[in-house]
Amino acid sequence: MRYAYFPGCSLSSSASDYDLSLRTVCRALDIELVEVRDWVCCGASSAHATSHLLSIAMPVLSLSHAETDGFERLIAPCLACLSRFKVANREMQENPEVREKIHRALDYQYRATVKAYHPLEVMMEEEMMEVIRSKVRKKLSGLKVACYYGCVLTRPPEITKFDICEDPQSMDSIIRVLGGEPLDWSYKTECCGVSMTLTRSDIVLKLSNDLLREAKEVGAHAIVVCCPLCQANLDTRQLQIEDKYGVRYGIPIIYFTQLMGLAFGAFPKELGLEKLITSPRDALEVCGLM
Amino acid sequence: MRVELTENRGRLAKRLQKITGENVMLCYQCKKCTLGCPSAYAMNLKPHELMRALQLGLEDQILWSGIMWICLSCETCNTRCPQDINILKLIDGLRTYYFHRDYYNPVPELPIMHRLFLKLVRRFGRIYELGLVLILNLKMVNPFKDTDMALPMFLRGKLKLFPHRSEGARELRMVMDRLEAMEEKT
Repeated sequence: MRYAYFPGCSLSSSASDYDLSLRTVCRALDIELVEVRDWVCCGASSAHATSHLLSIAMPVLSLSHAETDGFERLIAPCLACLSRFKVANREMQENPEVREKIHRALDYQYRATVKAYHPLEVMMEEEMMEVIRSKVRKKLSGLKVACYYGCVLTRPPEITKFDICEDPQSMDSIIRVLGGEPLDWSYKTECCGVSMTLTRSDIVLKLSNDLLREAKEVGAHAIVVCCPLCQANLDTRQLQIEDKYGVRYGIPIIYFTQLMGLAFGAFPKELGLEKLITSPRDALEVCGLM
Repeated sequence: MRVELTENRGRLAKRLQKITGENVMLCYQCKKCTLGCPSAYAMNLKPHELMRALQLGLEDQILWSGIMWICLSCETCNTRCPQDINILKLIDGLRTYYFHRDYYNPVPELPIMHRLFLKLVRRFGRIYELGLVLILNLKMVNPFKDTDMALPMFLRGKLKLFPHRSEGARELRMVMDRLEAMEEKT
């Protein structure tokens, strides 16, 4: 299956490990990723705080490139981008006033035919689970993880239309297929505070500390994530959090694609595992993967 | 709290309804929004209080509380609201409406960040992370903020020193200019 691929700004710089592991896993699953031609930033939290029209125009610009190139499905691995795409498509379909203005601004009649998907959505499609199962060569036996979905993968449900809003299960079921043990915990969709990360870091440290503490309490060896922004907050700020709250976590924050890659038998280098700040070595030794 | 109601107290709610399509009068103060809000602890005015203030037209209290900039846009409140009020849409309405207006804002970092973010995106078509952090730190008069994170990130190749310019940057600039002209007209 061929998909337009929108890596987004994070995956092309600070989250290169997510990009690397996603490409590796997609190759194994016969999902072809074609980077969107001349894509631009989705505008994420800044555009919708500034101008509603701009917040629709920015994602639509990249979507229109995918549309002219004949794609109907687009993969966006970052939750911020994904959410902007879904909101933009919905506005373009349902709000004629906005649609008309965006058409004029872009000088292009975007028909909202390019649907945006998170990699998890693609992997949860029928038969895909069987393909994943058939690719598993090394089981993640004994590895206990807390799956962290972040804020806007499932919210608001009328726009995301994916998984169970307050208690999502998609990542949990993938981990189960890989042979790992997803733990029950109550912070699956709590926010890590990312839009404040550069400005009011105090809020981010508090929220991320809550998450790490809860994961530690339920006995997780690692937190598995599906968004570069969640990963950045929980991983790169973990030392700051430990300092501020006088605790020691040492919990690695691993992308679900990295775990899939490991289970498929890919080399750690192909998955960017050495790029994680909190080393995943201890956690992966549990299941004999490192 | 003593509240003085002004004659045109319905103005703010009407204006927001025009921008966002949301009707604040539907709120009956069940407080689900506040109970689920991850940053409510840092707000002077909680989400359900914002709703009441909007109903009463207490514009100054809303602006001075800084709530619209402390909100993380995590969509929990609107997902749980039993009246189906999209509170985030209302907050975005407040943010955009007041973005180019003068008022006392206790959290000025946020609009500063948004402005800078869009300026960089306008130039490069994508975000230049290091540039954003460095300039923002200078603007917040906190130049060494988070420098402890820089080295570990750099050593792992997670920090790009130079910006990457997208081929789509020129087109994006054109779109931004056209939108600005459109918005000025209205």
